[in-house]
Amino acid sequence: MAVSWQRRLAAHAPAAVFLAEGARIGPLRETLALSPGIRLVDTPRHASVLLVAGDIPTGWRDDLRRVHDQLPAPFASVWCCCEPFEALHDPIRIDTLEALPQGVAETHRELMLGKRDSAPRLQPDEPPNPWEGLGDDGHGGEGMMGGTPYGRPMAMNMQDDLRDGLTLDTLTFRLGPFHSGLPPGLQAEISLQGDLVQAWTVTRKPFASVVEPIFHAARQAPVPIAELELSRARHHLRRLYRGLLVAGWPRLAERTLSLTGQLSPNSDITALRRSLERGGLWRLALPEPGRGVLDEAQVRELGGPAVRAAGIDEDLRSHDAHYRRLGFAPTCRDAGDTAARWRQWLDEIEQSLWLAGQAARHDLKTAETDAVETPRGPWTDAFPHDMSDLLGQVLPGLEWGEAMLTLASLDVSALDLHPLEEPWQRSTGDREGRA
Amino acid sequence: MALLTLTTVLMATLGLGWLLQWLPARGQPKPTYPQRAPFLGGGSPDTHAWNRYHIRYYPMTLLLIAFEMEMMFMYPWAVVFVEKGAMAVMEMGMFLAILSVGIVYAWREGVFRWQ
Repeated sequence: MAVSWQRRLAAHAPAAVFLAEGARIGPLRETLALSPGIRLVDTPRHASVLLVAGDIPTGWRDDLRRVHDQLPAPFASVWCCCEPFEALHDPIRIDTLEALPQGVAETHRELMLGKRDSAPRLQPDEPPNPWEGLGDDGHGGEGMMGGTPYGRPMAMNMQDDLRDGLTLDTLTFRLGPFHSGLPPGLQAEISLQGDLVQAWTVTRKPFASVVEPIFHAARQAPVPIAELELSRARHHLRRLYRGLLVAGWPRLAERTLSLTGQLSPNSDITALRRSLERGGLWRLALPEPGRGVLDEAQVRELGGPAVRAAGIDEDLRSHDAHYRRLGFAPTCRDAGDTAARWRQWLDEIEQSLWLAGQAARHDLKTAETDAVETPRGPWTDAFPHDMSDLLGQVLPGLEWGEAMLTLASLDVSALDLHPLEEPWQRSTGDREGRA
Repeated sequence: MALLTLTTVLMATLGLGWLLQWLPARGQPKPTYPQRAPFLGGGSPDTHAWNRYHIRYYPMTLLLIAFEMEMMFMYPWAVVFVEKGAMAVMEMGMFLAILSVGIVYAWREGVFRWQ
């Protein structure tokens, strides 16, 4: 097969990868984002490789099949620690994290050079809703808005407008569970009127949030505070990275993520804070003050940085004698809105780095094992549970951009009580450190 | 002769445009139906995306058109201004006064406030 010069060029480019995230894969997206031969993309249309990683529940398979068939040919799917579709005759499986970036890049190269055939389509090539051919214009009914062209109705005026009473057609769709702007696993049925979120119903809850193994170890025995705080800072930096991607600031997002690899008790994020402020993120991208506010009951239930962003100084570290010895006091903001929660991340990252520096100097370990403040929230006998239903109360009434940034500011998934197993455990720290 | 030349140029341009479209697409399979569906991260839409959408900046665009019309009137007016003298100045003054009332009204109604 003759290979055009365009294909040879494409073979040398980084592999465009769409990542379908399953459960319990840890920060794989962040690890891949730092891999030089890989370029993560937001839609399958821009990808040449579909990477499916982690446990995909059986009910999610149809959604995954839909995503699989949206990649343009030639494409391949790579399966990591999950079962490929039976219809794929020769699926590419890579179950070791070390081999994953190289394997994905090699798959892309082979595809572009014609050494590997494109993956087969899993769905029939026929319209999902066939043309009915009824009515004057073949649209399936009478009148301009009558009928169901291709078996799918037109958007109709079904709900009153929330904003200014100008009622428009309501657009209802389900988003997720493989959308990079949503928490992994979350699927929501959304109704829009223009750009305003009219209704948000969670149809599938997000996968439980995994924290680094040291937080699990801290529940068993005292652990060095410096390490614990560096892990906390890394977790918040990764959240900030995802948020910045949603906000449309990819360069700053990459810069934020690159900090996770070099984090030490002497690290400083002043330059990052300055870039965010001078770049205009707070002014231009984030919703106006007062948008995305949660009430006191909601933030108390959510816990973690969200509660402190609302001015409530709840933090289990306050009860730890060794933290108190370091002069720890919870850092809080008052507004409790979306912008406050974004700023809270930065404040907590700075505080964690400061604590790590102090603790490393005094070689201090945690004093409490019964109560650990995880980056997701307090973990005592109780632990942070799924709060995704909260989105149905917070997001309606916000414009689409505000809603996505508010969603990015909220950690609504439950805390996974089990540490990651091999091979995912290695992705949480040392791989990013090497990148 | 000129018509023939123009027709030839038109045909050549259209032909080149068609060729530029056709060359990269030749031999490529047409996107399948599932591929053509809107990407919703695995989700599906209930309705077509063709819906009435309120462009909230539209009063501002109407105002822009008002200014545009003013300029359209002012160009021919500038040509006859010397010839007509004070009469032209008065006419233009009246026109601008009426237009200004519209702008002041729009201003009061908050057209310049971004929503």
